[in-house]
Amino acid sequence: MTEPIPSHIAAITRPVDKLMHYYVLRSLAETVAFPVTIIVRYFRFHTMKYVFSDEGIRMSWGILFRHEIMLNYARIQDIHLRSNAVERWLGLARIEIQTASGGSSEMTLEGLTDTEAMRDFLYSRMRGASDKTHGNPAATESARLAHVLEEIAAELKAIRTATEAQRRV
Amino acid sequence: MFEKQLLAWLRVPPEPAPPDGSPDSIRIFRAGRNYYYWRLLTWGLSQAGVVLLGAMILMGTFNNFTRQIPAPFRLISMWIEAAGLVAVLLSLPITFFMQRLNYRLRWYIVTDRSLRIRSGIWSVEELTMTYANIQDLAVTSGPLQGLLGLADIEVRSAGGGGGSDESAKRKHAARFEGVENADALRDLIAERLRRYRDAGLGDPDQPLETIADPHAAALRVLEEARALRAATTGA
Repeated sequence: MTEPIPSHIAAITRPVDKLMHYYVLRSLAETVAFPVTIIVRYFRFHTMKYVFSDEGIRMSWGILFRHEIMLNYARIQDIHLRSNAVERWLGLARIEIQTASGGSSEMTLEGLTDTEAMRDFLYSRMRGASDKTHGNPAATESARLAHVLEEIAAELKAIRTATEAQRRV
Repeated sequence: MFEKQLLAWLRVPPEPAPPDGSPDSIRIFRAGRNYYYWRLLTWGLSQAGVVLLGAMILMGTFNNFTRQIPAPFRLISMWIEAAGLVAVLLSLPITFFMQRLNYRLRWYIVTDRSLRIRSGIWSVEELTMTYANIQDLAVTSGPLQGLLGLADIEVRSAGGGGGSDESAKRKHAARFEGVENADALRDLIAERLRRYRDAGLGDPDQPLETIADPHAAALRVLEEARALRAATTGA
């Protein structure tokens, strides 16, 4: 049922270096907090890993405080594509993925270059984005069976009318 | 001209591409004309409030109570306050201009499978949500919005929570802000949503769609087969 993911998506394992540049700028903007936040962000950047598998995404970061998030494509509720002007100057954007577990974003994909392609990929795997993923499989199964039976009935009727016509001759 | 320059400088992306769906089902809505005036009004009121508050604080520096604070501190705080007030006044034309841009750069795209909403200037936000994940629809409109013929439509997905966390709620909702033909838009979304009877969490009680019953079809085959036998064995 799950089809393999496109190679350009599977190839993503790390954020691009520009993300670190953005982190530096952000920490600078925080002035006094700079020494603390830059360390946190430095480790976050250097340990951030993505794995895009056939079923879902795994994202992990951190050394002392490890984080690992796994989510299924089919469980994605909505996709947010966000960026501020600084990020856009660097060619970056964030993709925030929401599932139904509540609260804020369940996963934020950072440091991706082609965010639009990623968004389209995630969209294609979302529930309800294509006919394949929508609808009750049992319902479509019985609909197909009923359709075949109707066809058989129509064939039989055609044979009967044909033989009746022959008899009359 | 200046507007174009500003948008280029802020690297605001162009009009969003509609999400996948059948091409003739795509409909793009924009905020109503009055939404601009609505924005200007709320902007004006909030700015007036800020200026008034600043002026009051500045006046407060001269009253009897604060006279007891040593002179140098009083002078410094007065200068800070004055600088703040000037900054607010200077930002007025910029934020005024932003209201117009914010009104113009809004797209609400509705297809047969999903919604996409784009908004924002400095911070650009784009949301995509499929009907399959929609939980409920809400149309709200205040008295002033009602006078201007505007309404907000909020399409929510699961997980927004009923708590006080506004940002979490917002992340789980698509907001069609300040639309003019709210009823028509709501009906359109509701009509398209109806085709996704399994939308949201939880299963509907009835089976999806009143599909052909295989049992009835099989009986029809049997009936035909009998009639055929009757016809061939020469009744």
